[in-house]
Amino acid sequence: MKLGLLIDLDTCVGCHACATACKEWNASSPVSGPLTDLEPFGAEPSGVWFNRVRHYEVGEYPATKTINFPMSCMHCADADCVTVCPTGASYKRADGIVLVDQDKCMGCNLCAWACPYGARELDPSSGTMKKCTLCVDRIHDERLEPEERQPACVLACPTHARWFGDYDDPDSDVSRLSAQRGGFGLLSELGYAPVNRYLPPRQPPAIVGVDDAKALLERGLASLASPVIRR
Amino acid sequence: MKPTFSIIFFTVVSGAGLGLLSLLALADLCIARVLPRDMLVPGIATGFLLVAVGLASSTLHLAKPSNAWRSFSRFRTSWLSREAVLAAKLMAVSLLYAALALNDARAAFRLPVAALVVVLACAVLFCTAMIYASLKPIRQWHTRWTPACYLLLGHWSGSLLLLTLAILYRADARAFTGLAAMLGVAALAVKLGYWRAAASQNRMLTIERAIGVREGVRPPGVTVAQARLFDAGHSHGTFLTHEFGFVLARRHARALRVAALVLAFAAPVAAWAAGARSAAAVAMFAVVCIIGLMAERWLFFAEARHTVRLYHGDART
Repeated sequence: MKLGLLIDLDTCVGCHACATACKEWNASSPVSGPLTDLEPFGAEPSGVWFNRVRHYEVGEYPATKTINFPMSCMHCADADCVTVCPTGASYKRADGIVLVDQDKCMGCNLCAWACPYGARELDPSSGTMKKCTLCVDRIHDERLEPEERQPACVLACPTHARWFGDYDDPDSDVSRLSAQRGGFGLLSELGYAPVNRYLPPRQPPAIVGVDDAKALLERGLASLASPVIRR
Repeated sequence: MKPTFSIIFFTVVSGAGLGLLSLLALADLCIARVLPRDMLVPGIATGFLLVAVGLASSTLHLAKPSNAWRSFSRFRTSWLSREAVLAAKLMAVSLLYAALALNDARAAFRLPVAALVVVLACAVLFCTAMIYASLKPIRQWHTRWTPACYLLLGHWSGSLLLLTLAILYRADARAFTGLAAMLGVAALAVKLGYWRAAASQNRMLTIERAIGVREGVRPPGVTVAQARLFDAGHSHGTFLTHEFGFVLARRHARALRVAALVLAFAAPVAAWAAGARSAAAVAMFAVVCIIGLMAERWLFFAEARHTVRLYHGDART
């Protein structure tokens, strides 16, 4: 099993609902909660998050695009964060989920140094490393309805830009969508084999030249205007 | 990377102690004729003490030191665990070595232990370096120069301590100065090599690579596009910006490099050339060298740029 997320950069609107839903669910998580807030009402609020949404601008005007970019643990197949851990607190489960045993971690930060994606954050209040659990306490909970057995971020996403599934199963939603739309893992050259994949924004059919654009526009205007003129 | 004093102190001071232990035991193995017998025990004690103080300092950066004992458990995979296990073994073996030297044990008993001290001291230095060199997200560290630097800089500072002891115990200093000179030249060469490799664009990553512009994260109709951070999504610092966001002004970096080179290499050589031959003077420039190496180690951290900084808006690593 290779459980992971698929994130559609075409439909993500950057609303941060996934990040806040994550924070809400995992605040009371027995796996690695709480996600401590530092100075939440102070001048410089900070805190532990498993999922962060950043926003980028790509290209030069007029050909620019805003990309909303949620990032959490990639649950790498070849996870260096697990290899470097000196205490055995970091481990990878048979279902692919990478977790930190909060009872064993000594807070040396080495796993955070080994992660190029910034997936791990030290909680200074507990002195231990914290990270995305892929909501391991939801997805296998048989008391929940089958459609509820998904990570909180996936359930919360209002634009359905997040998918959860097993990448080892070629018929799963995530495998199918990834294959159809060129899903990719981040920074493949580092060799971590990240499981989470991203779908690039869809490319609308290109307008070939200025003349084509003019013709299209005129035709559009004409079709809009014709009913008015006829009347 | 944020420079943390406890780690800088640990790697430099332990490094000098490991270098001293390794060179002292090596001298015992190879040039026992010129090594005064009463110099062994104080030498081992000095090295042992420096390693112990360094190791104690290294636990200060742990957020939960009560779990530090667990770091002995992953020898097969983690360089940090290997460092901890081998350092503990080295300390036990060097105590045995000191006991044998103290009781004037026969060479047949003492020398195998000395050989083990050489191997273990070098292995601990190598493991410390590999903690950093094994990290793929930090390209400045992920090179062969990193273990070369740790091994030779540790031995260089250790050789100055050994020279101090040799003068103090009225040994023939020529062999020890020759050793120090060779190690000094080699250490300087690998450090300059490390800086050269760090300045090259070898395996450099860009923000465009990080967010997948090549894989299609770009405006329609273009194939090449530049990317910039528009909003980091947090209003103030996070663990990530605090740990990895350290920026060193290029001007300061140059000044610090000069200071490190002057203190760690030029000052001891100049003092020796000017005729400083007393044990006190040599001890003084060994300390100056160690201070210089702390500046060097501070830069080792401050100038390393972690890949996650690309996601926070850096154009390249």
